Amino acid sequence: MRPDLLRFAFWLSRDRALAEDVVQESMLRAWKAQDSLLDEAAAKPWFLTIIRREYARTFERKRFPTVDVDELVAAEDPELSAAQDQDLAELRAALFKLPLEYREPLVLQVLMGYSTAEIARELDLSNAAALTRLFRARKQLRALCGEDTRLDPEE
Amino acid sequence: MMDCTQFRRALLADPRDASAELAAHRATCHDCSQFAEQLMRFEARLERALRVDAPDASIRHVRRVFEHRGWLAIAASVLVAIVVAGSLWLAVPGRTLAADVVTHMAGEPEAWQTTDVPVPGSDLGAVLSNSHLRLKPDVGVVSYAQSCLFRGHHVPHLVVQTAAGPVTVMVLVHEPVHMTTQFDENGYRGVIVPAPGHGSLAVLTRGEATDPKTVDEIAARVQNAIIWTDGAN
Repeated sequence: MRPDLLRFAFWLSRDRALAEDVVQESMLRAWKAQDSLLDEAAAKPWFLTIIRREYARTFERKRFPTVDVDELVAAEDPELSAAQDQDLAELRAALFKLPLEYREPLVLQVLMGYSTAEIARELDLSNAAALTRLFRARKQLRALCGEDTRLDPEE
Repeated sequence: MMDCTQFRRALLADPRDASAELAAHRATCHDCSQFAEQLMRFEARLERALRVDAPDASIRHVRRVFEHRGWLAIAASVLVAIVVAGSLWLAVPGRTLAADVVTHMAGEPEAWQTTDVPVPGSDLGAVLSNSHLRLKPDVGVVSYAQSCLFRGHHVPHLVVQTAAGPVTVMVLVHEPVHMTTQFDENGYRGVIVPAPGHGSLAVLTRGEATDPKTVDEIAARVQNAIIWTDGAN
């Protein structure tokens, strides 16, 4: 299974088990709907759209408890220790705190390599709105991480 | 003409935006140039933070599914996963070039010795000639030269001794890039620069001794010292 698909689902849901379920169910749906994929070059956005819809469906079906960011970071700790990079723990904690409307376009851009136009299309936004969300995402993230934001522009 | 606020807003929205307007402003504004450097370092950390360990998760998941479903359901799930993931393999972007370079470095710690003993000229010549290039003598002492397998190709892996310590250079003729990318992760600080017509160059230092500006200067010096012998510009 391609790791980036799981990573995308993980950053949507902030929950490993849920991400695995979403990807698994998405693969089944993709298999059943394979005839709707007319252009192989469009496979990536097609599959990511299925994952996003499956996540939304799962979210509607279940009521999730309030997320505790400290618990989320602690759950990732063994891997971070293995990587000997605690700096990433702070960054992941900040990502967990970022609202979904900012986290999702950021993940699409940085992790999945989407262009602004592709993000706008996927999230049903204008290009300007997508850029605004990306701007706010990084601005908030940098502030949460304690970065030097003196040169950051105001809203 | 773009002002500083517009530049920084645009860069925070898309740090990899390579538009001429952004490049022109960056070249003339010291503060914005510093801002861009700081942001690219943050971006490298962000990318690393997003790459949570996924393969283990899928193994755990298969195990969990195994406990709750029968063999038939598992076989069907695995078959579907293999077929769909296989068909998507080429469509989804993989690891970044910088991450792969850093991973490769971690596997060759012996290359980082500080020394003034150059690698034998015949060894260096053999490594370089495979990739159709030579180095001008003024690049400095080349203390390590190996032809390494990287992303399916044998590429020159060199260590050049500089005033800032040993610097690793990988000549990635099969990895074209469109813009310079700085990275700072896992104790390695470096830059990947385009080598028009010849892929790209990865230049790395280790530890905190060198700042990003020094890395850029070393990369420029190495690039100037390369003579391509395949006739391409």
